[in-house]
Amino acid sequence: MRFLRLSFRQAHYNLLGYLRSARTVIFGVLMPVGFLVLFNSVFGGKFKTIPVDGHNISTIAFYTGGLTTYGVMLGTFTGILVAIVGAREAGWLKRFRGTPMPSGVFLAGEIMYLFVISLGLIIVMLAVSHFGYNLSIRADALFAIFCYTVLGVFAFSAMGLALCRVITTSEMAGSVGPFSVVILSFVSGVFLAPNLLPQWLLTFSSYLPLEPIVTGIQHAIALPTGSGFVLRPFIVLGIWGVVCFVIAQLTFTWEPQRR
Amino acid sequence: MSNVIEVQGLTKRFGSLVAVDDISFAVQRGEIFGLLGKNGAGKTTTVEILEGYQSGDAGTVRVLGVNPRDGGGAWKDRIGLVLQDSDFDPGHTVAETVSLFAGFFSRPKSVSETLELVGLSDKANVRIGRLSGGQRRRVDVALGIIGSPELLFLDEPTTGFDPSARREFWTMLEGLRSTGTTILLTTHYMEEAQHLCDRIAILATGKIVAEGTSSTLIALSGTTSVRFVNDDSIDVDALSSATHISLHVTGDMVNAELSNAQEDLLRLLQYCEQSGLVLDGLEVVRPTLDDVFLDVTGEHS
Repeated sequence: MRFLRLSFRQAHYNLLGYLRSARTVIFGVLMPVGFLVLFNSVFGGKFKTIPVDGHNISTIAFYTGGLTTYGVMLGTFTGILVAIVGAREAGWLKRFRGTPMPSGVFLAGEIMYLFVISLGLIIVMLAVSHFGYNLSIRADALFAIFCYTVLGVFAFSAMGLALCRVITTSEMAGSVGPFSVVILSFVSGVFLAPNLLPQWLLTFSSYLPLEPIVTGIQHAIALPTGSGFVLRPFIVLGIWGVVCFVIAQLTFTWEPQRR
Repeated sequence: MSNVIEVQGLTKRFGSLVAVDDISFAVQRGEIFGLLGKNGAGKTTTVEILEGYQSGDAGTVRVLGVNPRDGGGAWKDRIGLVLQDSDFDPGHTVAETVSLFAGFFSRPKSVSETLELVGLSDKANVRIGRLSGGQRRRVDVALGIIGSPELLFLDEPTTGFDPSARREFWTMLEGLRSTGTTILLTTHYMEEAQHLCDRIAILATGKIVAEGTSSTLIALSGTTSVRFVNDDSIDVDALSSATHISLHVTGDMVNAELSNAQEDLLRLLQYCEQSGLVLDGLEVVRPTLDDVFLDVTGEHS
């Protein structure tokens, strides 16, 4: 099928650009891995377990799940925002618009590529935790983790797309993107144990798109039984994703924005 | 052969500003048509309407027989675009980028043939971030022609080029012309239009103020002038009244516009011959498109 073939080509092109840019590899892979080593060194000795949503899970499972999700969100949400705003600013989108390429190809290629780098990050993070910190993950839970990744890439890239209209320059995209991911991470059980946060903030963050999937992945990694699936992340992130896709559909523009 | 582009009464307003004011022109298959004008004359707005990026407020536009606003994939497949400014991802090589675009079209040229045409064969595997400005512009053109377009839009392709890069670019366009591609070119370099274009339309504040081949435009509104060095032995006023030519002194030169070049020159030279005057550095200057442009846009003093 032509659409798929073109989308694969586009994804491959994006992936080449990603692998050749030191900046994206440092922020996309080395930073989450560095955080994992750092946080585990600081808190791993102090706390054996951390309570998350009614279950006590090991500190390494807590940080592996949290920082992996953080990395996926940073890579996809910020990645798509910077890529699209940058391509639009450079006139690249406008130029694609003038070719017979179906307009969905650019987006499909972008999302496929973000999915590939997200999977890559997850494999690296799980490998570091497994070989470095003896974290063992049940084979049963891997499918759940895969599904959470699909969900995360869908919702986070939709959020990035929805913001493309209001973020007019790549400079803005490069700061707003990472900044909002870091702030969100602080209230979503990525860096800090949830029981350190006040109840109102916990309630608030459970409606935001990061906490539900962080909790879901942490449980999938840590809990000794069950499929690893929880419904809540699929509902919360599903709604965020669909709403943001609709917003993006209504507001998306191919033309460079005048400052 | 039918016209590739037909524009009738096209008008485009931005608020109270009339960017394109009731213009009409047609471009025939195989020709290089130039839209000339200063910045803000309406060139890019016109081209973007023809490319389908904007729509006009009045008038009709047909490009390859289609209203560009309704031009779908099959229409875009026959058209190549080189936009006024666009940038690339610096991390990809020239060949990777051109080959990505080749996939969009149904009858693409080969990547190597395209790079040959734009003179980038030896840069195929160089990352775009390492190219000079002029070389990047060639990549732009490569992306414009990779789909073997019947019609190519070039919006100010040589802005920012040094003179030798511009010359090379012209040679490349002449190569394209010989393959039968119809080209619509906008530029604010008169020399470029004079050199490349079969026909030219001059735009000023949204209107076409002159149209034709460069030589008909020059013949239409330009006047030949004569000039020579202002020597102490020459009494300019006396010479003026004796020859009925109104001579002006500018710097160390004397010059005059000749309303009837052949007769005026004959009178001038006969007078000099009889009175033993020697005109140093004598030149007869044919008007250039620059003069025509300044004339028709009302900028000549």
